[in-house]
Amino acid sequence: MGLELLLQNILNPPVLMFFLGLGAVLLRTELEVPQPLPKLFSLYLLIAIGLHGGYELSKSGITLDVLKVLLLAMFMAVAVPIYAFFILRLKLDVYNAVAIAATYGSISAVTFITAGSFLNSLGESYGGYMVAAMTLMESPAIVIGLVLLMLFAKRNNNSAVNWGEVLREAFLNPSVYILMGTLLIGFLTGEKGWKAMDPLFGVLFKGMLAFFLLDMGIVAGRRIGDIKKVGLFLIAFGVFLPVFNALVGIFLAKSFGFVKGDAFMFSILCASASYIAVPAAMRLSVPEANPSLYVTMSLAITFPFNIAVGIPLYYFLINHLWG
Amino acid sequence: MKPMKKVEVVIDSIYLSRVLEVLEKTGVSGYTVIRDALGKGERGIMAGDELTDVFKNSYVFTVCSEEIAQKIAESLRPLLKKVGGVCLISDVLWLTH
Repeated sequence: MGLELLLQNILNPPVLMFFLGLGAVLLRTELEVPQPLPKLFSLYLLIAIGLHGGYELSKSGITLDVLKVLLLAMFMAVAVPIYAFFILRLKLDVYNAVAIAATYGSISAVTFITAGSFLNSLGESYGGYMVAAMTLMESPAIVIGLVLLMLFAKRNNNSAVNWGEVLREAFLNPSVYILMGTLLIGFLTGEKGWKAMDPLFGVLFKGMLAFFLLDMGIVAGRRIGDIKKVGLFLIAFGVFLPVFNALVGIFLAKSFGFVKGDAFMFSILCASASYIAVPAAMRLSVPEANPSLYVTMSLAITFPFNIAVGIPLYYFLINHLWG
Repeated sequence: MKPMKKVEVVIDSIYLSRVLEVLEKTGVSGYTVIRDALGKGERGIMAGDELTDVFKNSYVFTVCSEEIAQKIAESLRPLLKKVGGVCLISDVLWLTH
């Protein structure tokens, strides 16, 4: 992988802010972002990405190519948790395997956003419909996880899954709701709408992302101690599964003729792991699973790996293949 | 002053609504909730620093008759067994006014 590409990614203020936050914990400074604010930043980022994606989608329209991207996104959101589950079952009980598989089957919006920012810094772009693909990829893993649980877990009747509650959590969790809603608003209001929102949601975007990633760095730093508890198999899983998923994504993107920017964002979606929607749903539906495994893996292993190494690595491969 | 029972529950924030449902069903006349309760328990440190509220507890307390306190305890036992948490029942004096 080109050193230049690695530097291009790392020497990006938001990515560096993540490591600044991580360092703050490791060096035991008392730095913290006041608690309700990270929630505001995450809401801001979701709204910004939804509105912008909707606006881009209104320009491109919903074509056959767009539908192809959306269908493949759904396919990966279903396939990843299934094969991840069987790999995890080699070492883990059914409950933890289900929770971790669902975590890796879903996506991380912030990894997607950081990758988008990296792509823009290279002067390249991706289709607004990739945001729709991201939204579609959030939920299926939760449902697949529960189906796997029903098939493989021996549970007694009074601990049965409350499907209504879990489906609600899967499809109407706050991040899916706000992404779908703002995507629709962006789509309906088009260029005029985006121009009105641009000062807050466009111009300030990178600064807000930096602020959010600073907090993510702090939170990930606090979880680093838990990595020891996770064990070598799961640490390896947290690094190699994303790379494998990205390779599958790149293969599919090439086979189905995605354009370069879309292929890159698709590989990022395949590679990333959820740390918001899925943990909440898993805590509700699989309380037997240990959240300090699946949250630590996605937040303290896969997320930093993806934003530091994954992004330039996948781009390098795609650049090589697409030319 | 009237002798009553105080029921205190510390539970994963995700399950707060279930506890409140139990309280409503058993007919308590009121309760108090403190949403951001942090600490350490059998399921590890609840630091409350996640966006998900997965590592955050909530604290609920109510004051009721012994009969209602019994009902609450019975209804909460399966939930606590499944998801963890704490339920404490103690004798208190309620200042009538």
